[in-house]
Amino acid sequence: MSLPTGIRNYTYAEDMAILRTRTHWVLLGVFLLLLFTAPLYLNDHWLGIVNRIGITIIAVTGLNILTGYCGQLSIGHAGFMAVGAYTSAVLTDRLGLPFLASLIFAGLSAGLIGMVFGMPSLRVKGFYLAITTIAAQFIIIWIIEHWTEVTGPNGIMDVSPASIGGIALKTPASEFYLILAITILTVYGAKNLARTKVGRAFVAIRDNDLAAEVMGINLFRYKLTAFFIGCFLAGLAGSLMAHTSRSISPDYFQFKDSILYVGMIIIGGLGTTTGPILGVVFIRLIDEFVTQLSPTLQTAFPNLLPGFTSGIAPMIFGLVIILFLIFEPRGLEHRWQLFKAAYRNWPFSY
Amino acid sequence: MKRISVLLSMVLTIILLLSVMTSACGPKAKPEQVLKVGVMTPSTGPVPEKGIPGQHGFADAVTYINKELGGAAGHPIELIWRDSAYDMQKVGTIVQDFMDAGCLIFATHSSTEMKAASGKSNEAGFPGIAAFISTINLHPPTHVYGPTPDYGDDWVAFAKYYMENIWKGPGKPKMALHGLANPTGLGARHGAQAKAAELGIELVDIAEHKISTLDETVSLQRMKDAKIDVLFISSTPAPTAIIIKNARDLGMFPGITIGCAAASFGKALVDLGGEAVEGVYGIAHMASWDDNTPGVAKLREYCEKNNPQDLYNDDYLHCWTTMLIMREILVQAVKNAGYNTLAKGGKTAWKAVEEQGIFKLKDYTADGLVGGTVRYAGGGDNRLNNYLRLFQVQSGKIIPVTAWQEAPLIKYETFDWWGK
Repeated sequence: MSLPTGIRNYTYAEDMAILRTRTHWVLLGVFLLLLFTAPLYLNDHWLGIVNRIGITIIAVTGLNILTGYCGQLSIGHAGFMAVGAYTSAVLTDRLGLPFLASLIFAGLSAGLIGMVFGMPSLRVKGFYLAITTIAAQFIIIWIIEHWTEVTGPNGIMDVSPASIGGIALKTPASEFYLILAITILTVYGAKNLARTKVGRAFVAIRDNDLAAEVMGINLFRYKLTAFFIGCFLAGLAGSLMAHTSRSISPDYFQFKDSILYVGMIIIGGLGTTTGPILGVVFIRLIDEFVTQLSPTLQTAFPNLLPGFTSGIAPMIFGLVIILFLIFEPRGLEHRWQLFKAAYRNWPFSY
Repeated sequence: MKRISVLLSMVLTIILLLSVMTSACGPKAKPEQVLKVGVMTPSTGPVPEKGIPGQHGFADAVTYINKELGGAAGHPIELIWRDSAYDMQKVGTIVQDFMDAGCLIFATHSSTEMKAASGKSNEAGFPGIAAFISTINLHPPTHVYGPTPDYGDDWVAFAKYYMENIWKGPGKPKMALHGLANPTGLGARHGAQAKAAELGIELVDIAEHKISTLDETVSLQRMKDAKIDVLFISSTPAPTAIIIKNARDLGMFPGITIGCAAASFGKALVDLGGEAVEGVYGIAHMASWDDNTPGVAKLREYCEKNNPQDLYNDDYLHCWTTMLIMREILVQAVKNAGYNTLAKGGKTAWKAVEEQGIFKLKDYTADGLVGGTVRYAGGGDNRLNNYLRLFQVQSGKIIPVTAWQEAPLIKYETFDWWGK
């Protein structure tokens, strides 16, 4: 870890510490304080957006472990979220399982199905693996649409809210704390996973799978582990989505969402822990910005061409992403590292 | 170069944050002066050809209401519009946005959007209306209302007409359904499941298609092999035109009778299908653009002036009419509950809108934009109007073949198969 000028590591523990200096602790404390008091200064609409960001961070962190760390391109992540969402809704509402148990089962079922679709990863990679995972997206959604005895004729309309210890988490604020807690655990877990033997094996496979195998890394085992962890987190995110939106249907888990999730980790920074967070926040805020922009434009310029105000929004969305990829192809995480380096070295340039 | 990219990123981020903040907190009319109404349309995403005219219909109706009708009971209506992009994950946050912004009632363009919205809105008791409504939005009755009959009613009305006027053969006619894989298609299927046996119709095939479908010859060939007599399509105009063209190519049509639910039918279908849709029957829930009523005249005036490209578009007409019905609800709510109750906002206001506005609806004609009158019937019927008409495409024109007729309430929730 790079440190501010004049600070050195003297022990292995110091070298491995995520938070190394007093400033780190203070900044983290302030950040957590701001996060945990968010319901005091955000209205329900913004809390809803923050909740959506939290759920997406959990899913995209899973995709980042799979794609960013292990190099297994997956374009079917929304499908695995759907598995988690339906598993959780069915277990909670039809079989009466407690929410927390359903949450875990949602993750497990998505993880196991992810492993099934991950099996071809031993033989194929790159674009070919991408096609396999696209197939996963369509097969999963097809099954959900046609297995209506379990999944409902057109979704499940009355998913109960998440409930812990008999307390139903119905309001955006209570949902916020649930999602925040799981998001923090996910990010912390992902950060530590990357520093374990498993995480290093993932990186070795991503960088050169042949070399990794020669070094004794069991490709099949580790690739399937990556699929399991990545899809497990997608399942958790799907479960949270089901219990916070109160209704689910295949429309919630479209192919374009799977593509967007890949876009988020690219924009945030592949193979880093902070990258998915930055990518999700950036994309979701842009999304909200363009949603608010269209009516604002319509009010400000009533004589614009018909359809222009709604059409301008996706154009801006696309333009910002293109500009970003041109000016910062290594993702927001790289920009964040540059900023931190400048802060640490200040007042020196290098 | 590095400095430029750093600067650019920072400027972009600041602009982004500031714009979101300012747009969310921009100057708005004082709450005591206006009645806020939220509407969402899928103006981008997979169905902008439906969402954009709908968006224009809502907006032009509000202009008309505030300019010529003096708002609702003297209070201008403030329209809060959002583009849902047909993204169901986004719909929930939009509904929350409406609730936080102090909207008294909200509308969605499609039944699918309403399905995604109703999880949050029903829990809060926030009343909503979908311009195009399906069975699953209305059964069991909640805080969601329809301005018209639903897609299940369309199937029943067409089936009755077919049995009384077209079917001459012995025994039961064989019918196939082709429905969009969403509440639009599902509604017709529900109607058929509930009433096919009673009407003496044998359902031999039920096919689903995606909104992006480009070819349905496989499913149609299967129906052809089953020797169907009649095909009912519940979809949107583009897939419907494709299905009918495929049926022509396979030599099925003419030969069989084709009927369409309201969302499939209209000028858009005739434009897209051309000669292929000649002879096709369809349902309409609202007035036709050629009807000679004051409501249609006013609608045409605003459409020609503000959005001439939407002339004869049924999404525009549906959304315009839905907004007029919402205005009438607010008029009743102000009259019966008082403006101060509505100005309190939140659950008190939503309850007042529902109990003193929607439940008090009676004998509202919408200046001839609907058949019969807009009213709240009670007894689990959340359709605020239950009149529909059958049309047929004849020489490229949409000609009425029946008068307005009432669609009786079907209590779907009493059937064993409902929800399974």
